[in-house]
Amino acid sequence: MVVTDQDYQIFIYAIKSSSNYDFTEYSEKSLRRRLAKVMQDHNLNISSLVNKVKSDKKFLEQIVKEITVNTTELFRDPQVWQNLRYNILPRFKNNSVINVWHAGCSTGQEVYSLMILLNELEMFEKTKMYATDLNTDVLENANKGEYKYRFNIGYLDNFDKVIKENPYNYDEYYDIPYDKYFTIDKSRDIIKMNDFLTQKPVFKKQDLVKDENTLYVKFDLILCRNVIIYFNYNLQNRVFDLFHRNLYEGGGLILGMHETILGNYSLKYKKRGHAYFKV
Amino acid sequence: MSTYKAVIIGGSAGSFQVVTKILSSIPTGFPLPILLCLHRLKHVRSGFVEALSLKSNIPVIEPNDKDSLKPGIAYLAPANYHMYVELANRIALSTDDPVNHSRPAIDLSFITAANAYRQKLIGIILSGANRDGAMGLKKVHEHGGTTIVQDPAECEVKTMTEASLQITQVNYVYRSDEIINFLKKSVRS
Repeated sequence: MVVTDQDYQIFIYAIKSSSNYDFTEYSEKSLRRRLAKVMQDHNLNISSLVNKVKSDKKFLEQIVKEITVNTTELFRDPQVWQNLRYNILPRFKNNSVINVWHAGCSTGQEVYSLMILLNELEMFEKTKMYATDLNTDVLENANKGEYKYRFNIGYLDNFDKVIKENPYNYDEYYDIPYDKYFTIDKSRDIIKMNDFLTQKPVFKKQDLVKDENTLYVKFDLILCRNVIIYFNYNLQNRVFDLFHRNLYEGGGLILGMHETILGNYSLKYKKRGHAYFKV
Repeated sequence: MSTYKAVIIGGSAGSFQVVTKILSSIPTGFPLPILLCLHRLKHVRSGFVEALSLKSNIPVIEPNDKDSLKPGIAYLAPANYHMYVELANRIALSTDDPVNHSRPAIDLSFITAANAYRQKLIGIILSGANRDGAMGLKKVHEHGGTTIVQDPAECEVKTMTEASLQITQVNYVYRSDEIINFLKKSVRS
């Protein structure tokens, strides 16, 4: 399915004019590809897609969910999580409360990754965990903490690297059983997070394009991983500003492995390892 | 002045040696950016860029999102991300679903590069064990770019090159030493 420049613009405008969603400042390449896929999956050309979006609110919501990217995994990029474990999180060890915001959490695998780490560091109890996304379906999935086993066997390797091994000292090995945190049911093809983890986070809808902080607190740590790759410069700056205003001084921002802060906001954060700290 | 603006190379199983050979044979200060989209084994997520850098005459980096493309640098698609070329001569990364069971997918890098550079692109498909890349090379051809496929007779695994040849009338079928000569010649003023 070929999506022309005009199709793309028509679609973005249709969404913007019939809802609160605004994709005008999204990075074009990815969104175009998703649009092509949506048109193909629904077997609609651009004009019938747009007509349906304009006349059917429910359909519009569904299309918005389909068009946003929702891939995540447990401990994606283990070196980032090792850095969090040994260098970043210990900075907050003496806080009486630690506020964490995972912005764009998708189906929540990394929300659980962080809680597992915090628990290993005995910082779990005093942490308030908030997680947001644009898409309420993925939030529901995140809240449930249940994932396919078969496609996610890689989770266990990542878990071993971050939780069992110490990259700074290979002689050290923590024999932490998986069932401390999740149960694996191979016959039903399910990995299910344990209750004490699923009960903790507050999941809430938030749109980084236009919403302010909807959680009413400031944060020690904000995670926003592989989200801003879908935004253009303007929108990235909006997000860096939003995060900056809602971080405590010395608070940290964790982006995806290949995301960086460019432009003016790079002066307002100081990079240490995989984290940007508010200065 | 070279008529080309970029080179893009795709490969999987059996391509590592060939890419190493290319990078160690082209001159320092090669005047075009080189995009590398290579499949790698899931557990070999790090160390790849270092291995390629060892013998390379130009710097090899795994780019960050929105990095500008500069001549004389090889950009290796990071593990677990798709790598796109935006029209503004910048890299864009994505964690969108795998394509052809691959992330990075060669097709996606080639299609976006073809869009951005049109007839000023050299697209090269090397040894590999699946069909990813064939569609991408076709797009390079359709946009008037120059298409090269490594001679299947020389490939450790022929699937990728044969799939490419099946659907595109390519400009050249070359052994690796011929690919290197072509690259050197094409940028000579």
